[in-house]
Amino acid sequence: MRLMIIAALMLAFAGAASAQETTPGEVLHAAVVDVIRPNMLRLDAGARGLDSAMTALCAVPSQDGVAIAAQQFRQVVGAYGKIDFLRIGPLMEDNRADRLLFWPDRRGIGLKQVQAILAEEDATATDLAGLRAKSVAVQGLGALEFVLFGTGAESLTDATGAFRCAYGQAIAGNIAGMAKEMVALWYVPGGIADHLQSPQADYADYRSETEAMEALVGLVSHGLEGLRDKHLLPFMASDGGPAKPKLAAFWRAGMTMEFVRANVDGMAELVARSGMARAVGEANQGLDNSIQFEFRNATRALDLVTLPVEAAVADDKQAAALGYLVLVTGSLQAMVGEQLPTALGLSVGFSSLDGD
Amino acid sequence: MWQRRAFLQAAGAGFAASLLPRQALALERTELVFASAVQTASGGYGAVLLGEAGELIASIALPDRGHDITLSREAGRGVVFARQPGTFAVVFDPSGREAPVTLTSVAGRHFFGHGVFSPDGKLLYATESDFEAAQGVVGIYDAADGYRRIGEFPTYGTGPHEMLLMPDGVTLVVANGGIETHPDYGRTELNLETMDPSVVFIDRRDGGLVGQLRLDSGLHQLSIRHMAIDGRGRVWFGCQYRGAPSESPQLVGYASMEGEIRLIELPPGPLADLRNYVGSVAASADGATIAVSSPEGDLLVAIDVEGKRPVLAQTLRNGCGLAPDGAGFVASSGLGELIGMAGAARETKHFDFQFDNHLLRVG
Repeated sequence: MRLMIIAALMLAFAGAASAQETTPGEVLHAAVVDVIRPNMLRLDAGARGLDSAMTALCAVPSQDGVAIAAQQFRQVVGAYGKIDFLRIGPLMEDNRADRLLFWPDRRGIGLKQVQAILAEEDATATDLAGLRAKSVAVQGLGALEFVLFGTGAESLTDATGAFRCAYGQAIAGNIAGMAKEMVALWYVPGGIADHLQSPQADYADYRSETEAMEALVGLVSHGLEGLRDKHLLPFMASDGGPAKPKLAAFWRAGMTMEFVRANVDGMAELVARSGMARAVGEANQGLDNSIQFEFRNATRALDLVTLPVEAAVADDKQAAALGYLVLVTGSLQAMVGEQLPTALGLSVGFSSLDGD
Repeated sequence: MWQRRAFLQAAGAGFAASLLPRQALALERTELVFASAVQTASGGYGAVLLGEAGELIASIALPDRGHDITLSREAGRGVVFARQPGTFAVVFDPSGREAPVTLTSVAGRHFFGHGVFSPDGKLLYATESDFEAAQGVVGIYDAADGYRRIGEFPTYGTGPHEMLLMPDGVTLVVANGGIETHPDYGRTELNLETMDPSVVFIDRRDGGLVGQLRLDSGLHQLSIRHMAIDGRGRVWFGCQYRGAPSESPQLVGYASMEGEIRLIELPPGPLADLRNYVGSVAASADGATIAVSSPEGDLLVAIDVEGKRPVLAQTLRNGCGLAPDGAGFVASSGLGELIGMAGAARETKHFDFQFDNHLLRVG
């Protein structure tokens, strides 16, 4: 009798587990409500803080004011790292992705343009409308990094840096404006959030749950590729060639690895909280664990990289950890870009992957 | 017949070839053969030849992902080009009598996945990237000398993609997609703000620029990628839009050596379903119909070249490859399907491999 009760309980649990399989609708809802919107709000809050800090610094230049602005900048870099891969909807409209962070800049175009603005004290770069009319490369985080941490940044502590500060203030205002716009667009009724959660055949962006799921999974798959190709491999030593740490984003601010960590965290969070890898059949129930295990490996590798990027690439152990991180991104990409779409019955990954 | 041992010897370790003995003769018997790069069920890459009925005649393995295939009856060779930014191209003998030759791009260059033979089959031209200078080039290879690279000339733009030989046999037409990439950054697109796509006509005898055509400057983010030539010698092209996803510019147009370039007006429905992405373009055998595909939007569209309007829209999940077939077309998909469209009566076939973006009619 006792055995029969246990067997019945086991069957009941098995039934409950089966019934709890995550549905695409739940995945899409959780992605928007639990991940994308909160991270947009964090960027908005950080950007408003940065805007305020730059305004205060320009009003009363000081060493403390620079330190506060740098700290706020750090928060925004981290917050942006968590949404940089969310390349759908608002981030892709109005050139916001490039205006927020023009990267990579292989030819150093942005740097030259920023340096020219500072050298010529181009007043049109100090008001929002004038700045927005300029190259995307002088409007965002890369430009503000040079203002706060690049050659001549020491002038920000006194009146000699007035123009530099005013330009930085305009950039901070521009970043805050874009963050605010993106929050609004992710909350507007009938906007991308609704379309992504409840696709309709007559929507221009998401016609079915399948398409919406493809877009969601594609964000992580392409995000991992972007992390590796834009934010890791370009500055690491390869084929006997030396490391080039100055090709790393945010090296001047010493925030390269913070950005990378935020990027990894953001993608891991999207996978885990949306449950995208749990919306699979019984045969693939282990995939979610495998992906999360590999994201934890990425985090462990990042824990080992404690030095600023210039020193990290020169340190055998930390350089090896970076190399391992690249391997992990490849492994994750195979899981998220190939195994997961197959398990979900999607077609992310081959003919439609990208640009050919 | 395909020579398995010769393939293996030529390709070396990690590069295998397979022959299906029961179907080996089919290649010589069949009148119509299609070729495509593929991804196998196990995740490897290769190229396949399919017979008239869609039967698999032969396959070869590739070291990495291939893209388009070109063929010359005169040379008796086909070439599979690596997908950009790949560095290999495999020259093969469709009859299988000769061993394939694997070409490697020279230092400072990579392939863009497309190429074409000269009419006499003596020269092979490939679109390539001079990636340090961010300029497109056409690499020239001598078929009589083991496909040695004997020179190059510019494509007069960045990010060249498909290249075709015009009916005059002298002029090459190249779609400069306008997008800068660099191997240090994988496939990252580096210049979306300053893209400058164009269609160029080049005299293949000296590399001289015959003409360069651009769409309106407001369309500078409309990357011109794939082309086919209609019965009147006009070059039809399909574009991929890199601007805001909420915008829906027209994606299909034509250019001529007389200097005309224009986009045609596709109705809002099919245009929206192309999802700002045309993956391939093909002309029907009589040159009266053009087909375009979008694997992003799961849509195939056939266009009457005289009326310049769509005559058929058909869905095919992840469909991209297109080749002429009788009065219509054959289409292939990234999910392993091969179907007929626009007048081609053909049973749908399913394969356990995934077709890459392009399908070539060999015979």
